Amino acid sequence: MANIFPRGSNFLPLKIAFCLLVLGGATSTGLWYYFTNKYTNVGYQPTQPVPFSHEIHVKQVGMDCRYCHSFVEVAAHSNIPTTQVCMNCHQQIQKDNPKLQAVRDSWTTGQPIQWVQIHKTPDYVYFNHSAHVNRGVSCVSCHGKVNEMAEVYHAKPLSMSWCLDCHRNPEEALRPLNQITNLDWEPKTKEGQSVADAQRELGSKLKADWAINPPDKNCFGCHR
Amino acid sequence: MSKRVFHHPQDSASGKKYWRSVGQLSNTPEFRVWLEREFPQGASEFDGGDVSRRNFLQLMGASMALAGLSFAGCRRPEKHLVPFTRGVEWSIPGKALFFASAMPSRSGALPLVVTTHDGRPTKVDGNPLHSLSKGAAGVFAQASILDLYDPDRSRRFLSGGEPSSSAQFEKALDGIIASLGDGSSLALLLEPGDSPTRERLRAEIVAKFPKAMWATYDPIASPAGDIFQSGVQPVPVISAADVIMSLDCDFLGSDVAGDQARQFAARRKPEAQAGMNRLYVVENRFTLTGGMADHRLRVQASRVGAFATAIARQVADSTGDAVLAQMLQGVSIDPVEFPADWVREAAADLIANRGRSLVIAGHRQPVAVQGLVAGINSALGNLGKTLVGKPAQSAPSAGIADVAKAAGEGRLKTLILIGGNPAYDAPSDLGWAKLQKDFREEKGGVVIRLSSQEDETSRLATWHAPLAHYLESWSDARAFDGSYLSVQPMILPLFGGWSEIDVLAKLAGRQKPEGPELVQETFRSTVKPSDFTEAWGKFLHDGFVSKSKSQQTSLSLSPSISGVVSAGLNAVRSTGFEVVVVADSKVLDGRYANNGWLQELPDPVTKVSWDNTAQISPASAKQLGVSNGDMLRVEASGRSLEIPAFITPGHADNSLTVALGYGRDFDGRVGGKGVGFNAYPLLTSSAPYFLVGASVSPSGRKHKLVVTQEHGALEGRGGDILREGTIEQFKAQPDFAKNLGLDAHAEWIEKDGRKTEVVNRSLYSHPPLDDPHQWGMAVDLTACTGCSACMVACQAENNIPIVGKEQVGYGREMHWIRTDRYFASEHDEVADPEMIYQPMLCQHCENAPCETVCPVNATVHSEDGLNVMAYNRCIGTRYCANNCPFKVRRFNFFDYNQRQIEDGGLYKWNLTSPKGTPETIKLQKNPNVTVRMRGVMEKCTFCVQRIQEAKIATKVARRGTGNVKIEADAFTVACAQACPSDAITFGDISNEKSSVSKLRAAERGYRLLEYLNVGARVWYLARIRNPNPRMPDAQKAGSHSRPSHHGGGHETAKPNHSGGNA
Repeated sequence: MANIFPRGSNFLPLKIAFCLLVLGGATSTGLWYYFTNKYTNVGYQPTQPVPFSHEIHVKQVGMDCRYCHSFVEVAAHSNIPTTQVCMNCHQQIQKDNPKLQAVRDSWTTGQPIQWVQIHKTPDYVYFNHSAHVNRGVSCVSCHGKVNEMAEVYHAKPLSMSWCLDCHRNPEEALRPLNQITNLDWEPKTKEGQSVADAQRELGSKLKADWAINPPDKNCFGCHR
Repeated sequence: MSKRVFHHPQDSASGKKYWRSVGQLSNTPEFRVWLEREFPQGASEFDGGDVSRRNFLQLMGASMALAGLSFAGCRRPEKHLVPFTRGVEWSIPGKALFFASAMPSRSGALPLVVTTHDGRPTKVDGNPLHSLSKGAAGVFAQASILDLYDPDRSRRFLSGGEPSSSAQFEKALDGIIASLGDGSSLALLLEPGDSPTRERLRAEIVAKFPKAMWATYDPIASPAGDIFQSGVQPVPVISAADVIMSLDCDFLGSDVAGDQARQFAARRKPEAQAGMNRLYVVENRFTLTGGMADHRLRVQASRVGAFATAIARQVADSTGDAVLAQMLQGVSIDPVEFPADWVREAAADLIANRGRSLVIAGHRQPVAVQGLVAGINSALGNLGKTLVGKPAQSAPSAGIADVAKAAGEGRLKTLILIGGNPAYDAPSDLGWAKLQKDFREEKGGVVIRLSSQEDETSRLATWHAPLAHYLESWSDARAFDGSYLSVQPMILPLFGGWSEIDVLAKLAGRQKPEGPELVQETFRSTVKPSDFTEAWGKFLHDGFVSKSKSQQTSLSLSPSISGVVSAGLNAVRSTGFEVVVVADSKVLDGRYANNGWLQELPDPVTKVSWDNTAQISPASAKQLGVSNGDMLRVEASGRSLEIPAFITPGHADNSLTVALGYGRDFDGRVGGKGVGFNAYPLLTSSAPYFLVGASVSPSGRKHKLVVTQEHGALEGRGGDILREGTIEQFKAQPDFAKNLGLDAHAEWIEKDGRKTEVVNRSLYSHPPLDDPHQWGMAVDLTACTGCSACMVACQAENNIPIVGKEQVGYGREMHWIRTDRYFASEHDEVADPEMIYQPMLCQHCENAPCETVCPVNATVHSEDGLNVMAYNRCIGTRYCANNCPFKVRRFNFFDYNQRQIEDGGLYKWNLTSPKGTPETIKLQKNPNVTVRMRGVMEKCTFCVQRIQEAKIATKVARRGTGNVKIEADAFTVACAQACPSDAITFGDISNEKSSVSKLRAAERGYRLLEYLNVGARVWYLARIRNPNPRMPDAQKAGSHSRPSHHGGGHETAKPNHSGGNA
C-alpha cells in the first residue's frame, strides 16, 4: 500500500507547533498590551509644568472643583483654569514660591501654561461633562479621588466597556446633586447595610426620579 | 402558499411618466448602469490614476516597512491642554457662540447668525429674529463660510507684482491721496452696495475730491431706466398676489430678493388661508420658478417682449387703460407664434383678478419690456397692492463704461478698484484688460486693487491688497426691506486683509479704522439713540435696528416711460438663434468659482457639476446634430466662444442659454484654470442679456461633463415616489396621495376613516422605539423649489467633503441630501415637460433594509427612531448601500478630507506621502461631527449632533427632575433651518405640539415605499398644482396619472422580477 502521506508531512507536527508558538506569542503579546491598564493608560502620570497638587488645594484648603473647572456644569469640555484663576490667589499667597515660577511667567508674558493632557477620549467620542455632573454623576466616578492626588494620574480606564458598565447600571454611580464635587461622599447606610447596597438603593431611586436613561445601546449617544 | 411578490409600480406606458434625463426615457445602456448599480461598474476599482493595483501593493509594502521602523505610533503622543492666560469674555471652551451679522448681496444684505466655535466661524444661518430670513439662509450665504477659509485667498500685498506689506501699502496710499488735488484724476470702481457707512464715506470723499468719479459695476445687474418715479424701486408683494405671471423672471431662484420664496410658498400650500396662488411662467429655459409653474410657456428670451405685448393688448382692450394703450401705440409686433388660447386665457385670468394679480418681468429684460409690464400692472390696478415701492437707498453712480472712457481719454491718473473683477467680467466691448494694462504701462496711471483673490484684474494692477471677507470686517448694510443691519467681524482678518471701508476711510482723509468706530459714527447719526452703549449693544446682538424697514411708497409710472416702451419694443426683434447669457446658479458672476461646495453642487436644473454649459432644446440639438458634451461654437457680433452643449428639456427652440462665471484665469485649486468656459466675451454693454442673430455650430470637439441627474435613479419609480395632483383632485379626495400605486392595496391602519399608516409586519425583531422623543421629518413638495440650499447647509454642518469632478463622474459625490429633479410628461414628450423636485435623504426607515445586511452592526436603529451609523465599526462592505432602496448612502472611496482631490492626487498617495487638509479648511469643520476617513459609509444622521446638544441642554436645564422631554420645535436640523421656502420640517413626531407631527397627519402626506413597509420617518406632502381649467394645457399640469395596479401584490413569483417582500 502506497504511502498516503507524502514525505513532507513528517515535518507537519513541527510546522504546526511553530505556528502555534507564533500564534500563542502574538495572542499573549496582544493580551498583555491591549487588555492591561497600561493600554488604557491607567496610572499615566506625566510631569506637569507646574507641580500643582490637588491634594493641597482640595483636601487641605477645601476648594471646590468648580472654582477652577468653572464650566464643567455648562459645557461638554471641563475647562482647565486660566493663569488668571491661579493668580487670583497666588498674587497674595505663596507669591515667591519657586514652584509657581511658571505661573508667574505666564502671567507676565501672556504665554499660556502648557498642561499635559491626562484624560483623553478618542476624537470620535463626544463625551459631555455637563450631561453627567448635572445628572448625578460625580467627578470621582471617572477621575478617581483627585482630592487625594498630589499629582494627578489616570485613575480609571476610560475604555468603552468601562463607560458602558456605568451606562448600563447607572444606579451604581448616581448621587445627590449637591454631592457631585464632594469626592469623599458615601451614601448613608442603614443598620447592617453595606455601602454598595446603600448606593444601589439610593441610585435606583434617583434613576427613577430623574428618568436617567443613559445611551447604552445607541451608538450615537457618544459617537456622532 | 405562493410566494408573495411585489411588483413595483413601473411607470405605465401610457399616461404621465416621471423621468430624470432624456437617457432614462430612451432607456440608454448608460442609464441602466446608474439604475441597477449603487455605484457604476468600476467605481470600486482602482483605475483612475497612474497607480495600478499591483504597484499600489508594492507601495503599501514599502510604506509599511518604513512605518515599522519607528514605534512612535505605539503609544499615544503627549498632548497639551492650553488654557487662556486671561479669561475671554463669553468664551466657554467647547461651546458655540452665535453672533448676528449680515452678508452683502445683490438684492440687499442678508441678515445672518454666525456660529463660532472657539473663535472660528463654522456655520452661517439666517437671523431668526429678522422677518426676512426667519432663520433661513440660501445657497450663497451657506457657502460663504468656505470662501473665508479658501486656502487660495490672497495672503499678501503686491506692488507691481512684488510682495509688499500692509504698512508699505498704507504709505503708498497716503502718497497717492496727497497728490490727488480736486480728484479730477481719480476714479473709484466698486461693486454696488448700500452700506450706510460706505455712503457716508462716499459723501466725505466727494466733498474732499469733488471731481472724483464714483462708479459701480455689477455684470449681472438690470439695465438702467426710469420706469417709475425717480428714487423709488418697485417691490413685488408675492404674498398678496393670487395670480402671478412671471415673464423671464426667476424670482424663486437666481433673481430671488428678500423672502419672496417664503411668501410664494406660504401662498402655494393648498391649506393656505388666503387660497392657493397660481403661477404662469414664460421663459426660454427651465428656471426654478418655471418648475413651480402651473402653466409654463417656453419662449425665446428675445420674444418675451412680444409675448408681453400680446398680454398687454388684451389687458388694454379689456381695461381701457389709456397709458397702456399709449405704450402700445405704434408697436408693430405680431405675436403669431404664441398659442392664441394660451395668451387669451392667461390674460383673462389676470384681468379677472385685478388688484390681486402680479406680472413680473425679469430684471435683465430690456427697459421697454420692464416698462410695458409696469404698464400692465398699472392697468390691472396692481400698483400699491401687489407691487409697491421703496425708496432707493444709494445715490446714483457712474458706470463702468464712464470709467473706461475717462481712462481711455487719459483723464485719469488713479484708479481704485474694490472687489469685482473687471478684467474678467467687464462687457467685452470695453476691452478692459487691455485698457487697464495700457492705463498703467503707457499712460503712467496707478491702479489700486482690493480683492480676495490674486485674479485677472489684480495681475494688471499697480497695487494689490487682500480684501477682508465680510466675516472679518466691521460694516453695516441695508436688507432688501431697507432694515439697517450690522456686520461684525467673527475673526481677525486671516490674511491681514483690508476691508472696503478701511480704504474708503483712508481716502476720506481718516486713519484706517481699528475697530467699529466708523460704523458706530454712522449708527449714532442714523439712529440717534438716547443711550448709545445700550442701543449699540442691541444693534450688534439683534443684528438689526428694529422698525428700520423702509416705508412703502406709492408707485406711479414715469411720464416718459410710454415713449421708451413703444420705441424699445419695436427694436427687440428676434432673428434666428439667440444666445442668452445668465448668471450661473452656483458661481454667480464668477465670484464663487473657487468655492468647492458650490462647484460640486449640481446645477438645480441641468444637474451638471463642475462646469458651465450651453443649454439647448432637444429639437435644436437634433437640428444641429449635437448631443450632451459636444462643443458648440457660438459666434455673435464678431465674438466667439466654444462651450459644451447640454440638452435641457423645456428649453425654447432656437435659443441657447450660457452661464457666466466659469473659465476663470487665476491660480485657484478649485475653480481656477481649466474649469468651465468663459462666456463673458459674449457680454456687451449694448446686449447685456441676450444676443440675437448668433451663429451656433458644432465644433466637432467633445467635453466631458459630469452630470448627476441619473445618479441615484430609483428603479423607474419616479411615478411612485413622486406624488402630485391638482387642487381639484386634492379637494375631491384629500388623501389621494395615499391611494396611488400599490399603496392602494396595502393593509392600512385607519383612524377616523382615514388611512394613517400600513400595518407593520416584519420578519425581524426590532429594538423597541421607547425613547420619549421620536424624530421625524416632513417635506412639502408643494413648497420645494429645488434651490439646493439644503444641500450646502448639510455640507457645512456635517463636514461633508468635496470629491472633485472626476469622482463625481464615478458617482461618488458625498451629499447626504440631494434634490432629485424629475421631468414629467405624457407620451415620452421631451420638448416641454414639467419639472418637479424631491429632496432625497436617508428616510430613517423603521424597518431599515440597510440595517439587516450589515455584517458588523455598524448601522443600527436607536430608540428614538434614528438609523445611526457607527463609523468606527464600519468595515466598508457597502452592503447597506446596495440594499438601500433610496440610494442615499455615501461611501468614502478615498480619504477626501486628507488628500488633494485635484490633479489625480487621490491616486498618487501612499503611506509616506504627505497628507492633510489645508489649515484654513480645518478651521471650518464642525467640531461636533466626526470627519470621516476612507473606507467608511456615511449618510444623513438627522443632524444627530444637534439632537444630542438639545437633549443635553434640556437635561442640564432640568437638573434634578425627571422631565427630560425637549420642548416642541426647540431646534431643527441644518437642511430644515436653511430652507428658504419652509419646505422641510423636522421635529419630534411623538410630541403632538410639534409642527412635524401636525404635518405628518396632513391629508396629502405619504411615505415612500409604504407598501413595502419600510416605515420611513420622512413624510412627503404631495405636490399640488393649481392649473387654470380654461387653459389649453390644463390637463397637463400636475395631474398625476395613476399607475395601473399591477396585480395588487398577490401574484406568484416571476423569475425576472425583483421580489420585494419575499
